[in-house]
Amino acid sequence: MSGRLATSYGQDMALLNTPAKRWWTLVLVVAAVALPFVLEDDLLVVLATAFVAAIGAIGLNIVTGYAGQVSLGHAFFLAIGAYTAAALSGDPDSTRLIGFGITSLPVWLLAAGLVAGLAGLIVAPLAARLRGLYLAVVTLGLVFIGEHVFKHWRDLTGGVGVGRPAAVPELFGLEFAVDGAMFTKAQKLYLLMFVLLVIFGVLARNLVRSRIGRALAAVRDRDLAAEVIGVDVTRYKMIAFAVSSFYAGVAGALLYVMIGFVEPGSFNLALSVQYIAMILVGGVATISGSVLGALFITLLPRLTRELPAVLPFVSSSSTAGGITVFQVEAILYGLLIIGFLIFEPRGLFGIWIRIRTYWKAWPFSH
Amino acid sequence: MSTVTAGTRLATIATRVRERARTTPDVIALREKDLGLWQQVSWSAYWDTATLVGHALLALGIEPGDRVAIHSENRREWLYTDVGTVAVRAATVGLYPTNPVAEVAYLLRHSGSRVLVAEDQEQVDKALAVADELPDLEHIVYLEPRGIRNRYDDPRLLAWPDFLALGQQHRAAHPAAVDERMDQARPDDVATLVYTSGTTGPPKGVMLTVANVDFAIRELVERGGFTGAPPSPKDSVLSYLPLCHVAERVFSCWFGAGAGVCVHFAESIETVAGNLHEVQPTILFGVPRIWEKIAAGVQIRIASAGPLKRSAGGFWLRRADWIGDVLAANGGRHTVASRLVHAVGYLVCYRALLDRVGLRKVRYAASGAAPIAPEVLRFFMGLGLPMHEVYGMTENSAVATANRPGRVKVGTVGEPHDRAEIRIDELTGEILTRHDGTFAGYWHDPEATARVIDPDGWLHTGDVGEWVDGTHLRITDRMKDLIITAGGKNIAPSEIENALKASPYVKEAVVIGDGRKYLTALIGIEPDTVGHWAQQRRLPYSTYRDLSSKQEVIALVQGVVDEVNERFATVEQVKTFRLLPKLLEHEDGELTATQKVKRSAVASAYEELVESMYRVGAR
Repeated sequence: MSGRLATSYGQDMALLNTPAKRWWTLVLVVAAVALPFVLEDDLLVVLATAFVAAIGAIGLNIVTGYAGQVSLGHAFFLAIGAYTAAALSGDPDSTRLIGFGITSLPVWLLAAGLVAGLAGLIVAPLAARLRGLYLAVVTLGLVFIGEHVFKHWRDLTGGVGVGRPAAVPELFGLEFAVDGAMFTKAQKLYLLMFVLLVIFGVLARNLVRSRIGRALAAVRDRDLAAEVIGVDVTRYKMIAFAVSSFYAGVAGALLYVMIGFVEPGSFNLALSVQYIAMILVGGVATISGSVLGALFITLLPRLTRELPAVLPFVSSSSTAGGITVFQVEAILYGLLIIGFLIFEPRGLFGIWIRIRTYWKAWPFSH
Repeated sequence: MSTVTAGTRLATIATRVRERARTTPDVIALREKDLGLWQQVSWSAYWDTATLVGHALLALGIEPGDRVAIHSENRREWLYTDVGTVAVRAATVGLYPTNPVAEVAYLLRHSGSRVLVAEDQEQVDKALAVADELPDLEHIVYLEPRGIRNRYDDPRLLAWPDFLALGQQHRAAHPAAVDERMDQARPDDVATLVYTSGTTGPPKGVMLTVANVDFAIRELVERGGFTGAPPSPKDSVLSYLPLCHVAERVFSCWFGAGAGVCVHFAESIETVAGNLHEVQPTILFGVPRIWEKIAAGVQIRIASAGPLKRSAGGFWLRRADWIGDVLAANGGRHTVASRLVHAVGYLVCYRALLDRVGLRKVRYAASGAAPIAPEVLRFFMGLGLPMHEVYGMTENSAVATANRPGRVKVGTVGEPHDRAEIRIDELTGEILTRHDGTFAGYWHDPEATARVIDPDGWLHTGDVGEWVDGTHLRITDRMKDLIITAGGKNIAPSEIENALKASPYVKEAVVIGDGRKYLTALIGIEPDTVGHWAQQRRLPYSTYRDLSSKQEVIALVQGVVDEVNERFATVEQVKTFRLLPKLLEHEDGELTATQKVKRSAVASAYEELVESMYRVGAR
């Protein structure tokens, strides 16, 4: 039986429960796959970065959006993933850096996720005891501890200002990070990241519409009430942190593949805030919103970089007078977060939902 | 199919369901929503449960000719009981869920029902309250155990699962008992007693025999008497009007058994809009009240939408009006221009609109059981709904006339069915019908029977009518409702009332004037739409009574009345009106179970209001 008439709960909960959704998903996927053959390479790299950021944002959304546990420590977990992957696939003969020479993508990707997930599990007991601002401050502490460790553990990270090569993506002998005969490096990376985003996005959607997802939402809405109706709050907070960190680890491992280089100074509070901005702008507690937010925030610098040409008082370097593009970016993040929180708490996805509802209700208002 | 084709053996609804269970066992016959999911029942499961009911009734000692009453909302068990009862040659008696205790007592006592299937505690309480005055009532089977199990210890009570278990035991002991009983069925077995909710006097039990029902199924279902192309298992219907009424019985039970139409049960009368949206039935029957409500809903919802939607929706509704006029003028067929306008409108508006109200897949829509205003029919025709007014009554098994697809005359109730004889009495103008569906008589009331069936077999319908173009029948009014004013003028109040009720703001209208100098009306406002209207004007109100007494609301209704008056001759104009201070209720005796106004009851209950309209200088 098709259509609205639900004869099983499975049908009621289906990911693509209407024909319209099925069609538009197909159209979207086809369009995304066709893009690398249309766009310039540099833009493809930005998009690929955005896809990876989206994986990370999905992770943050699981713990902050779905489970309601505010985490400022996302940068820490991204770093763990990045260094696990970089170390695993690093050159084993290097005297300067730790390296194991395992360049197979599935291996180091999974390892990066698992190590970060483990770190998340270790942090989780804190979350079981703390809530709201207190939890935010503790996770903030993580970032500073991490920053300190990574800056000084030169064997792993290469040290401040030097850094180390990022993980080498290779799958069944296919190298992604070099130009090939048929595809350029950018095209290959774009497609790889797109496929990974789809995989991790679908996994996350399946997680949040399951028993676990409902339990997380119950914890978010009121942990006491959740406990009363039989949700093991500690257990689900741990699951939320573990899964979220796993996603962060995966994103961290992939994030530096595009530039090919990891610098320990980049895993700071600003990075965490960037991810918070992604989910707030995109839409809290939605997977599609995370993707939208990641795309938006990652593409934003591309736009601000065009500003000096339009606005004379904005300069592209810090030596010149006036305000720099980087400052404009920082201001925009702030304004966007404030604006969305006040005017559209459901984010970009909320705007989309509103448009969709408008046309769905046509010609009535509801 | 040997049992279904004529001659060899008698076809009852039971044999028809059995035949479907044999030929298409896994096709879905019934769907009912339970905990948010539509539970599906296949034909084999349908027949299996119905046989269990039959066995259980045999175990309880039900003999041919006994009566089994059902007091429940529409649900699967209603049809199981109906089919199971007919299988053991007993007669089903349907009670309206809204029947108050006094009527329940009357119906159970008058029908002499031996078994009552009651839905829940509410209905069980009604029966138990009077059970001691009912010597014939031996068993009360309840469907919903909540509030009954472990609390009531009346020996007559029996839970539905226990009732079915009884059937299981009986079937194990006598596997062929139900089939044997079915084989003994005779054409003059009473299949069902349908109590007609008379607008005057107590209800009368119409005996419909196996032969009557069989005739109706052959005429209305298998020959496509309503739908043109006969209904098929691909069709679906929504069952939401009371099943004890003959119209819903036709569309739910008989369409299902006779043509394999899939029946969906609405959760309740309040959720019909939502259920329609989900089910998207292909065949839909409604009483005028339902159609008026849907039409008013569409207009109000478009009027209260945002500016773009309001102007676009309004524009296409006006086009729909025009299309409706064209269709009405052409017997329901499109002209090139109207088809073109409709095609564009369908793309940008009507498709979405019909989908939202759950009518997009309707291939046949019908209105009956009471007269409907032509504007309402035209409204739906303009949107692209194949709308047909049909006519029939319990006493002729709902077989009389119908507007056929493509041969619609708005304002008439259509052409006689192929095998139905219809004529109009030369003297009184009364409509008479004669065919094999004419009922066997009123239960225990041969006098009343003799009054409506004359020696030649003509059924006197009590409706006054006339022929239009020699083919279509137009009904003027109920004979006893005709108003003769003090000036001696004959006036049919229902036309005026329907014109008033076509306004979205008017729910009930009762025109008064028998023996008076001029016509007046008691009008009940529609609380939803008028409430909405008041809100839009920032008009505070608390209750229905408060809303009805607002000067602004009276002025609003005055506008409606003035508009309607323009369409009638001076003597037929409503000179003044009063708003009813409350909603009319079945339980207060103001409406019949089918929500028709009992004029006499309303006129006497609001005598003071009526008299105030005839005082000197009243306005």
